[in-house]
Amino acid sequence: MDVIGVISYSAGFAIMAGIYGVFALGLNVHWGSTGLFNIGIAGFFALGAYTAALMTTQTPDPALFEDFKFGGNWSELGFLDLGIDLWFFLGLGAASIVCGVIALAIGYVTLRLRDDYLAIATLGIAETVRLFFLNEKWVANGSKGLYRIPKFLGDWISPENYDYLYLVVVLVVLAALYAAVERAAKSPWGRVLRAIREDETAAEASGKNVFNFKLQAFIMGAIIMGIGGALFAHNVRFLSPLTFDPLLATFIIWAMLMVGGSGNNKGAILGAFLVWGIWSGTQFLPGVFSDPNFRFFMIGVLIVAVILIRPGGILGEERKVARSADGARI
Amino acid sequence: MDHCSMEVAPGAITGLIGPNGAGKTTLFNLVSGAVSPSGGQIVLGGRRIDGMKMHQTFELGLMRTFQIPREMKRMTVLENLMLVPAPQIGESIWKAWLTPWRVAREERRIESKALEALDFVKLSHLTNEYAGNLSTGQKKLLELARTLMADPKLVLLDEPAAGVNRTLLRDISASILLASVERGVTFIIIEHDMHLVMRLCDPIIVMANGAVIAKGTPTQVQEDPRVLEAYLGSRR
Repeated sequence: MDVIGVISYSAGFAIMAGIYGVFALGLNVHWGSTGLFNIGIAGFFALGAYTAALMTTQTPDPALFEDFKFGGNWSELGFLDLGIDLWFFLGLGAASIVCGVIALAIGYVTLRLRDDYLAIATLGIAETVRLFFLNEKWVANGSKGLYRIPKFLGDWISPENYDYLYLVVVLVVLAALYAAVERAAKSPWGRVLRAIREDETAAEASGKNVFNFKLQAFIMGAIIMGIGGALFAHNVRFLSPLTFDPLLATFIIWAMLMVGGSGNNKGAILGAFLVWGIWSGTQFLPGVFSDPNFRFFMIGVLIVAVILIRPGGILGEERKVARSADGARI
Repeated sequence: MDHCSMEVAPGAITGLIGPNGAGKTTLFNLVSGAVSPSGGQIVLGGRRIDGMKMHQTFELGLMRTFQIPREMKRMTVLENLMLVPAPQIGESIWKAWLTPWRVAREERRIESKALEALDFVKLSHLTNEYAGNLSTGQKKLLELARTLMADPKLVLLDEPAAGVNRTLLRDISASILLASVERGVTFIIIEHDMHLVMRLCDPIIVMANGAVIAKGTPTQVQEDPRVLEAYLGSRR
């Protein structure tokens, strides 16, 4: 591979790692900050991706794609046809709203219960979402998948250079989400979430409406995951229910958070780049070592190594100390 | 609970004693809102609070501690205290995002109040320590400091002396007395350390089998045959 090829591959790698960084940030709001055991990330991932795709994808030529059925030709309505890709932002917004509303509905009925019920509910919702898109063909072409999802500002730049533009888009969104989540985490709002994570009863006895805060955190994390899904859809430009396989849409994101450092937003992003680096890098290994099972095994080895050496993850949670004690901010 | 009825005067330090299983902690759970009663009335300052949740009773000035300390382990001692005051501007996510300068100003105020509370219970040297690393006695002091952060009207202390050495116990008693005298806080204290109860509390209420069996000054309670019977069993 020549230098241009390496740079181009790196851009593609960084786009995917950045998108996974968004998911890891969302999971950090759920688990790292609040202790909400969400093992159905794939559900919000899929909802975000499909929503954005349905908002932006035009019906392909029927002569080329027979029997193509989906309900997403809204971008052809034309009322936002202002010469720029406003639909991309609309898709991003719609993805976050849909995930937020679904999280509100799930959270409202499950967050009063113990953590294990939330885990079961999120897992169930993820499977329901996947099966919905698989079986309800009229929504997104069923198992054949949704393709020709447009590139954001795709007309502005040549196809061979497009990844660089999209990398900037992904990094800008990631940076904005990081800034928002970090400010929230370091505020009294974030402090209440951590108190809930540590001991719900004690947090309630300290005057906090635990259910309300958990619901807010659950919705915020889901919105972030929805945005991640939308970014993913516009990157891979093809979605099928198989895309949202639990290994690559839920468990690898957990691995990223555990490796980088649960409770630390920088750690979540670092974990995303590291784990995605291992996942992507191992595909170049010779023979059996590039087998997906071996590659997942390597991620498992990394998790075990990190847990043994640094149980809180590579960066771990930052300790908030008094300003007056050493000048650090709380 | 079995037709349990009692009244606590504002500003008093009331002791609540009784043998194991008498219903003392259950009573705290009912009053604080941890458990909803199936019947009866609980009134705080003229307002019915039965059936309220814990965060609602907290808003009315009721703060409780737990028999086994429930500190936020992976949060510092300071954070454990800064959590308590309510309402805080920065607990609204929108205000935390949009008005960080107001939140920072409020944080400075709450931090200095927390440092005062730590000074009050003599835990200043542990300000930045994780609460989970404290000894049992220090956790009890931390719980006491948390109650002070709330500016409560009524504090329910569940066995504040359990597992605490004599030196720390003196500190805890002094802190309770000081809070009562200087801040006018009303205390109800469940405790098995009779020396502490007799020295600190007046009146004392005795419970057995979910009901109140005696109430009076320390001397009256000590001489009450029903109390002796509850603790030692009836003579045959």
